[in-house]
Amino acid sequence: MSIISVKNIHKIYNEKTVPVHALQGVDLEIEVGEFTAIVGPSGSGKTTLLNIIGGLDRPNQGKVRLADTGLEDLNDNQLIDFRKNNIGFIFQAYNLIPVLTAQENVEFVMLLQNRPKDEMEKRAVDLLKSVGLEDKLNQRPSQLSGGQQQRVAVARALASKPKFVLADEPTANLDSKSTADLLDIMARLNKEENITFVFSTHDSRVIERARRVVNMIDGKIESDEQQAV
Amino acid sequence: MLLKIAWRNIWRSKLRSFVVIGSIAIGVWSLVFLLSFSRGMIMTYIEKAIENQTSHIQVHNPDFINADVEANELEKAPYNFIQDVTKVKEVLASDPKVEAFAMRSYAHQTFVGVAGKTGVANVYGINPIQEKAVTNIHSLVIEGDYFEKDKKNQILISASQAEKYNIGLRKKVVLSFTDKNGNPTKVAFRVCGIYDTKNQLQDQFNVYVRQKDLNRVLGLGEESHEIAVLVNDVDGVDGIQENLSALLPSQLVRVYDQISPEIELFNVQIQLSTFIFTFIFMLGLIFGIINTMLMAVLERMRELGMLMAIGMNKAKVFKMITLETLLLGLISAPIGMLIGTLSVGYFKRVGLDLSNFSKGMQKFGMSEIVYPESSGDMYITFGIAVLITAILGSLYPAFKAISLRPVEAIRKI
Repeated sequence: MSIISVKNIHKIYNEKTVPVHALQGVDLEIEVGEFTAIVGPSGSGKTTLLNIIGGLDRPNQGKVRLADTGLEDLNDNQLIDFRKNNIGFIFQAYNLIPVLTAQENVEFVMLLQNRPKDEMEKRAVDLLKSVGLEDKLNQRPSQLSGGQQQRVAVARALASKPKFVLADEPTANLDSKSTADLLDIMARLNKEENITFVFSTHDSRVIERARRVVNMIDGKIESDEQQAV
Repeated sequence: MLLKIAWRNIWRSKLRSFVVIGSIAIGVWSLVFLLSFSRGMIMTYIEKAIENQTSHIQVHNPDFINADVEANELEKAPYNFIQDVTKVKEVLASDPKVEAFAMRSYAHQTFVGVAGKTGVANVYGINPIQEKAVTNIHSLVIEGDYFEKDKKNQILISASQAEKYNIGLRKKVVLSFTDKNGNPTKVAFRVCGIYDTKNQLQDQFNVYVRQKDLNRVLGLGEESHEIAVLVNDVDGVDGIQENLSALLPSQLVRVYDQISPEIELFNVQIQLSTFIFTFIFMLGLIFGIINTMLMAVLERMRELGMLMAIGMNKAKVFKMITLETLLLGLISAPIGMLIGTLSVGYFKRVGLDLSNFSKGMQKFGMSEIVYPESSGDMYITFGIAVLITAILGSLYPAFKAISLRPVEAIRKI
């Protein structure tokens, strides 16, 4: 069953001045439980595609359906609500809330969903345990390493019980050990809890671990291959 | 959690927050002090006016004050004395809230002649003993005495009149009256004492003689034009006035601010200057807040973009920025008020000596030592003003924050 369905997507930047065709007719279907890497060189359109799938940007043309919802039917506020309840985000620069502790960062998304306090606390602690940060619950981001911060970001992305997780170059700022640890965690969550992960990356260490690799060049999908891990 | 984030966000840039908090606190403090100072100055004036002349309440025959109220023009005529004065005295004597009262006669705009020099004076005919219990003019005698010798036609003049007419003790002053039959009459009085209230407006016109001397000249018997009343508790003066008015329906009973229009003027001035100062303060403050909060928003664009990306709606982002600004105001306003209260309290105790500047002020009856006086209303006004300013100042930065597009904001470095 497709959880992400993208049809004939076009995205043009600077339409009125110097048009840049970032995406040129992209079609993509992603099933529940996939562990997919969207790869390609800089400027190939992988981040733009991820932004459109994540409802952070709107295409100039084409349709995006996420979990049976057409994003073009949603206004800005509905889109924010949709993201809150359906999509987990992991950003390249971690982007945690610097004034909150690791646990509070994870709880924050659930707070936006108006979950009960007890449930928020329990789930935040469980998630941080599952990413190996049970001893860092009360640390603020500035007291954590880059790898630890990105693991908090993974826990935060899963906190809202999203239908899928989008990760934009999640390992770009991490060393080899942290990258390996992070990929282990995400692969385990994917395998054990059937969580759908979609990455954009040009990191070979991530590409090696992906079960499906979508290769983009110049705003088009050049190849789309399953691979054995 | 939103409050927690807002609170912690304030302390991310401690120096910047301290600068804003400090500037709001200093602004509030200076407002509290400045307005307490002018209030203190005016209150001292009012107190002095009450002590020296006006007293708390005055009773008149309504016709005595044939007032064109719009023009504040009070025409007083000698034949409009208080009717049924015995009843008035009884009512006043039986009211426990009345401390003392003094009977007065009055001759308005009387011609004064002294050794070829002429002028105009308001002549008060007083009962020296009664008057001593109500006003403190007796204690302001700087030369001679306060009607101590039981001689006929004695007069108490002010130091400024003595200087103007170039006369001293025991000199003769000729006053020209119109008696109750309309006949002009001239009477010589001898200076028994010279007083100085330091209020030149009052001193240049007021002279005091014994009531029995003035009544004789005006052709009156035991009648009085005015009864000055001192009450136990000035805060209850309006209630006492109402009570006396009800008991004495044929008399005009007025409290001090109705008697002296300048007191009402000063009250209006306090309110107006509070409004103007507060407005200027808010105007200055609002730009400081906009600047600070805009910096805070622009520095955190990526974070705000992330918050919106993960599902924080615009209303919550707006609320968070507004809360941060409000918290800054809620921290700084009490600090300013506290410093204000302490400094007002200190100077209220020791007084602020303005003797170097007080010559001009004395002409208008202002004291050379000012005791600042704050009021609860003042604090409420400033508290509300700071909060309104904080909310207004947060609007532009908050709109700026919610107009960010997450996809662009996240990419900002």
